[in-house]
Amino acid sequence: MAASPQLAAQGATTAARAPRRRSRESRRPRDLLFLIPFGLVLAVIAFPVVWMLYSSLRPAQEISQGLTWHTVFSGLSLDSYARLFTETNFGRYLPNSIIVCVLSTAITVVIAVLAGFALSRFSFRAKPLMMLVLVATQLLPFVVLITPVYLFFAELRLLNSFAGLIIVYVAITTPLATLLMTGFLNAVPRTLDEAARIDGASTLTVIARVIAPLVWPGIVTVAVTAFIAMWDEFLFAQVFLTSESLKTVQVGIAGLFGEYGTDWGVVMAASVLAALPTILLFSLLQRRLVAGMTAGAVKE
Amino acid sequence: MVTSRFRALQPYLLSAPALAVIGLLFLIPSTYNVVLAFQSLSPYQSPRDAEAVGFENFADLWSSGDLPHAAFNTVFWLTAMTVVLRLLAGLGLALALQSPILRRWKLRGLSRTIILIPWMVPQVVAIAAWRWILDGRSGVLNQVLSGFGIIDGGIPFLAQTSTVWWSIIAIIVWRELPFVVMVLVAGLQSIPSEQYEAASVDGAGRWISLRSVTLPNLRPVLTIVVLVTVIQTFNNFVYVWLTTGGGPGNATAVLATELYTAAFFDNELGAGAAIGLLMTVIMAIFAVIYLRVTATKEDA
Repeated sequence: MAASPQLAAQGATTAARAPRRRSRESRRPRDLLFLIPFGLVLAVIAFPVVWMLYSSLRPAQEISQGLTWHTVFSGLSLDSYARLFTETNFGRYLPNSIIVCVLSTAITVVIAVLAGFALSRFSFRAKPLMMLVLVATQLLPFVVLITPVYLFFAELRLLNSFAGLIIVYVAITTPLATLLMTGFLNAVPRTLDEAARIDGASTLTVIARVIAPLVWPGIVTVAVTAFIAMWDEFLFAQVFLTSESLKTVQVGIAGLFGEYGTDWGVVMAASVLAALPTILLFSLLQRRLVAGMTAGAVKE
Repeated sequence: MVTSRFRALQPYLLSAPALAVIGLLFLIPSTYNVVLAFQSLSPYQSPRDAEAVGFENFADLWSSGDLPHAAFNTVFWLTAMTVVLRLLAGLGLALALQSPILRRWKLRGLSRTIILIPWMVPQVVAIAAWRWILDGRSGVLNQVLSGFGIIDGGIPFLAQTSTVWWSIIAIIVWRELPFVVMVLVAGLQSIPSEQYEAASVDGAGRWISLRSVTLPNLRPVLTIVVLVTVIQTFNNFVYVWLTTGGGPGNATAVLATELYTAAFFDNELGAGAAIGLLMTVIMAIFAVIYLRVTATKEDA
């Protein structure tokens, strides 16, 4: 019985919706009942990062003291960052992480483009099995791999070397990178590379000269996704790199937690620097990365 | 003739590097892990000196009494609690992000970015930031609570059994919520608006259309989100290891930290492999049952 007036109201609002959405009056005061609690939730979500940044800037002697309104912005300095580089080995960890992650990313991208091209352009007998393996490896627990891989690498003398870590990082990012790359390549019309083939170009030439320039944004997305995953990685780096001079940023931060009392200013400065690359890359490519990462995890 | 055979081989050649790294670092190690689980071996021995011990590793784990405790912690506190909380909070935030109120106030993009922030922060950094917030002596949470007179004296959140799991849960939910929100937002955006219009024509209020339009449409997405988050959290090592190391005492021991301790502190790689095998079996059983149950539900 309530259906017919509602139907009429429905029609009326649809008719009136278009012009009303643009008018400022539609911002009703009642909206605040939603916006204020929602804003509080967002504030709670953002707080840890804001606090991390703020703590890294507070003077050492004040960081463990309570805040008052008078001292909120007094004495902010980069002192914690200076101590991070003079009193710890962090200055070494940063280039280590960059070297390992950049090299691994480059290798992963090449492998993913080649395999992605095969999966996107050819139909071959092992293709369904290969897709299944790619998805299945994403579900396999890395922590289970740690002991057997440790043994293999000990035999091959790859422990305590960047080479060993790079091999692991390439391997753990290759399945997702390949799945993402296949998706991007599927979106490129086949007629383009078929035309180049008729002109006599070899497969590798087609990939390098025709496909790569066309899927450039996809390649960037795959590279950034892989880089972020490697930059975040802790377990393999912790187990494989025991030598102080080889440690990565994440392992370095874990080493800053003291048994008795931690210099939180220094830890927060290290944390800001360790988060910076991911935050920058994420903000540059937000929409593509979110789409890529959620699709990657939800694939199949 | 030769060229056509070469063409048939091409997809395999292109995928060879991807298949090689996946085979060498996923397939062979996880198979070898099964062998290792029935052997006794220390990290300082060559795998050739491994001693076959039958089910001894499993028997030892069982009789030490730690295993059921760690398994319960992993299943209940680490996985079930955080996944349920992530789903509820994630659904709430995803629905809030879709709200017309945010669009009216042109706050949708900003809100989305703020919700994404924790995901841009590496896991180790998230743990560092939260350890500082939760610090028993000068952490900001204790300072706020005592500032409002709610408590006197600091609560060592990560060092007492009554609060330690809730603290770890807070860290995991905070860091891993954005993924759930983003997948659910994608799911919500794919629901045809006609269905909501039809529901409101039938006189359905907000609650009923959530139950009869939104949730049924989200079911496939929810199924995958649950599967992915359960598997990733169950196998996660970093959150517990870097917040408490399994302590205080062994209050927060989980299977992943037990594996790591057994293999690399107690020098029993076989025992570590046995725990790894157990984890793989638990997750495989979970995945099979879970997918079967959700599949039959969809048929009904």
